[in-house]
Amino acid sequence: MKQLVLTLVTLCFSVTILQAQGKLPPVDKSPMDMSYYPNSYPVLKIQDKATEPLVARVIYSRPQKNGRTIFGDLLEYGKVWRLGANEATEIEFYQNVKINNSKVKKGRYTLYCIPYADKWTIIINKETDTWGSFKYDTKKDIVRMDVAVQKQTETTESLAMEFEKSANGFSLVIVWDDVKVALPIVL
Amino acid sequence: MQGNNKKYLGILTLCCIHFFISCTSVNTAPDDIRTQLIEPPNPYAVVDKSPMDISYYPVNYPLLKMDGKDSAGLTARLVYSRPQKNGRTVFGNEKCIQQYGAYWRLGANEASEIEFFKPVTIQGQLIAKGRYIIYCIPFENEWTIVLNNNLFSWGLHQDSTKDIARVKIPVLKTARSIEYFTMVFQPSATGANLVMVWDYTKAVLPISF
Repeated sequence: MKQLVLTLVTLCFSVTILQAQGKLPPVDKSPMDMSYYPNSYPVLKIQDKATEPLVARVIYSRPQKNGRTIFGDLLEYGKVWRLGANEATEIEFYQNVKINNSKVKKGRYTLYCIPYADKWTIIINKETDTWGSFKYDTKKDIVRMDVAVQKQTETTESLAMEFEKSANGFSLVIVWDDVKVALPIVL
Repeated sequence: MQGNNKKYLGILTLCCIHFFISCTSVNTAPDDIRTQLIEPPNPYAVVDKSPMDISYYPVNYPLLKMDGKDSAGLTARLVYSRPQKNGRTVFGNEKCIQQYGAYWRLGANEASEIEFFKPVTIQGQLIAKGRYIIYCIPFENEWTIVLNNNLFSWGLHQDSTKDIARVKIPVLKTARSIEYFTMVFQPSATGANLVMVWDYTKAVLPISF
């Protein structure tokens, strides 16, 4: 009996210690991710299969739906959103591109969005390495473009961004919950 | 004897309650892990098992910027992915995740990327402002840290003709094991240290500026 109790006490302590260790170091609840155009460029590059040069890369964090209604509820319509979580979402162009008929020079930018029920305003802003959209400054906007909301029948749990080839360039496709938008980028 | 047994039974009950609570709280562990387990693959972009993360020097630069406390300016930024120990021994022989003497990408998935926004010095070598990939050759007592120009690559497509700098740093042992591979900058007397920790191993790369 005594031994059994001692064993159990030891076990209890071990569980507590293991748990305490599991909590550190903190890992973001919304993990960061990266997308490239051409898609999977780093993999193509090491396999010598890259037929086009690297054009764009987006770095963003991926919040989850977790049973909530995202648009019009968690994210209020008409309010600027960081298009991600934690650090502001970053898009980098490795050559000059055109968005909404405006030239966007090669370089790093921050992406924001103002969601509405039927459209999103996508914003390219030059203030980089910032947090959230708390210090968003319209004076630093490079270009804005309204894109239509495409309602989806299936919901997407984690915010996702990827690039898709188009006739005159490519699009940045953004999907979360039951919403999908595509920002056309002209080469 | 009976009294003693009652006492033991009491302790036993407490243990059971503690164990039950512990197990319940394990089940309500971080959302990110839970979501990864139950979520069907995202059709647009699969969520990585080794999540990406970003570290800045000054530490938490984007937060400092938001609070208007960023007058020192940005010095360095590191983008890397964070593999987990998952009950394995990380560094050691061929049975471990990472074998001594073999090249290691210092992360997972995409090559880990470090950018300096001003020139810095590492062990007397001047490193120009710019972006590099960073990787490592771990040994039991020291790590060789390599800065290389082969940007935007996956894993470790090792090409030493593009090396910028190679330095050796000692390995320290930590008292407790760290589950997620972690890289952070910490202020030092001459600039900043890039602190790299995983399992029971810690290595520190001093950077001067």
